Amino acid sequence: MSSAQNVEKKEEKPMKLEDILQSDIWNVDEDPHIIVDYNKCKNCPNKPCVYLCPAGCYVLSDNGIVFSYEGCVECGTCRVICPMEAITWNYPKSGKGIFYRFT
Amino acid sequence: MNNLPDLPTKFDVIVIGAGPSGSAAAYLLAKKGFKVLLIERGRGLGDKNLYGGRVYAPPIREVWPELDKEAPIQRWVTKERISMVQGEKVITFEYKAEKKISFVSYLTQLSQWMSKKAEDAGALFVTEVTIDEIVMKDGKAVGVRSGPDFIEADVVIDAEGVNRLLLERLGIVERLKPDNIALGVKEVLKTGASNIESSFNVGPNEGVAWVIMGDVTKGIPGGGFIYTNKDSISMGLVLHLKHSMNFIENGKFDEHVSKLVEEFRFHPYFRPYWKDAIISEYGAHLTIEGATHFMPSKFAYPGLLIVGDAAGLLLSTGYTFRGVDYAVYSGKLAAEAVEYARNNGGFTYENLETYDKNIRRSFMYNELFKHRGAELLMNNPVMMAKYPSILMRVMEKMFEGEYTQETIYNALMQALKEEKVGPFDLISQAFGMVKSL
Repeated sequence: MSSAQNVEKKEEKPMKLEDILQSDIWNVDEDPHIIVDYNKCKNCPNKPCVYLCPAGCYVLSDNGIVFSYEGCVECGTCRVICPMEAITWNYPKSGKGIFYRFT
Repeated sequence: MNNLPDLPTKFDVIVIGAGPSGSAAAYLLAKKGFKVLLIERGRGLGDKNLYGGRVYAPPIREVWPELDKEAPIQRWVTKERISMVQGEKVITFEYKAEKKISFVSYLTQLSQWMSKKAEDAGALFVTEVTIDEIVMKDGKAVGVRSGPDFIEADVVIDAEGVNRLLLERLGIVERLKPDNIALGVKEVLKTGASNIESSFNVGPNEGVAWVIMGDVTKGIPGGGFIYTNKDSISMGLVLHLKHSMNFIENGKFDEHVSKLVEEFRFHPYFRPYWKDAIISEYGAHLTIEGATHFMPSKFAYPGLLIVGDAAGLLLSTGYTFRGVDYAVYSGKLAAEAVEYARNNGGFTYENLETYDKNIRRSFMYNELFKHRGAELLMNNPVMMAKYPSILMRVMEKMFEGEYTQETIYNALMQALKEEKVGPFDLISQAFGMVKSL
């Protein structure tokens, strides 16, 4: 699966993160580079990943944490802050993942 | 730019990561005639790199004297600004500098320029190759592995960056801890060159580096930043991760981090600089807070040298941040150690260890220890909240009296009383603060 977005938005009113993220470009890997052990998430009291993952990859649903790797910007925050050490984090495979241009 | 399987299987030096540190090392070694392989997991367009926005030139000119003429420089920093924010109240200091020692650049373009230099000097540059492992044999690094492929080298230079998974897998460093790490979140806002030049009052090649403290992070240690590119503005927040976790635990941080950035973008004092701009990019990267705690115990191991962010070589004083020039300079020292080893009987640990010694003798190491108090201070939420508050109250009393206004002395004394700080505490703490910054 590949996704090149690069849809630029005007900064005028509060926006959803999904819309801001549309300015970015990825080449999404078929396999996730991050594995989350949801069993450990169940016992996590504060779930800091929900607030701190800058790409919003961790969402709290009725059934607990739902993780999606596709929009990951590869900063590594989730692995560092996870109090349960529930996250196995790898560099994405060859050439995959986020593709920054102006940063 | 090849892929892995067609390569020779033995190199003098393998460099992992084509950021500033890896590219500098590969460039200097290739120039000296070493057989160098520079490996990058991205597409070689600097696409995994992100930083605030500013680079200090002098240490980089030691590697590339042509930097000023050739590098993709957006604007030279001629104005430094520091602001403190409390609600809609803002205090700003501006310093118009005389010398041009730092510039704003897209790190993606700058790393691309640097890795091209390495390639032109004769290094073999492969992209889209992710290294899984630094291979050790009898306690010595002997090469790298990517998937099923093994490539051998006399020396491996680890320039993998702040997440340093490979070093962690080797057991050389511990798992990253939030105590020494901050998260930077950044937006690039396209506004046009003439807008930037008129609103910041700068010339065509000149720009501003701006550090913002206070409410923009909701009191979480860290701060905001604004850097002017040619026709866009880089802005965003840096948040200390351990403190962010504490704030979440105490219920004081209950919205997504991107909302904090958006609130900063909408702040009425800053917004006019980029109103109605186009959001060209959104990204994030980790940065080092407290380098002296982040450094590996040694910078050189048998067959292995560690450079750049992976080595913890990043200075953060709260008002200046230097990572790219430190990275390049460490790459230079690594290249020199490899050359020294070749000229002195081989790539033994004793010879490569000159890198460790030279890092510890360098201006960088000295600077990191000299400023190590700064991170304690900048990362102290009470300190970070108290002093701006006192100053805000003084300003308010001086300038916002509707009929009467206080003398500066009375304004300060009242402000201290309201913030419950004794005048002597203020003097002694301020002295300690000035000393470590």
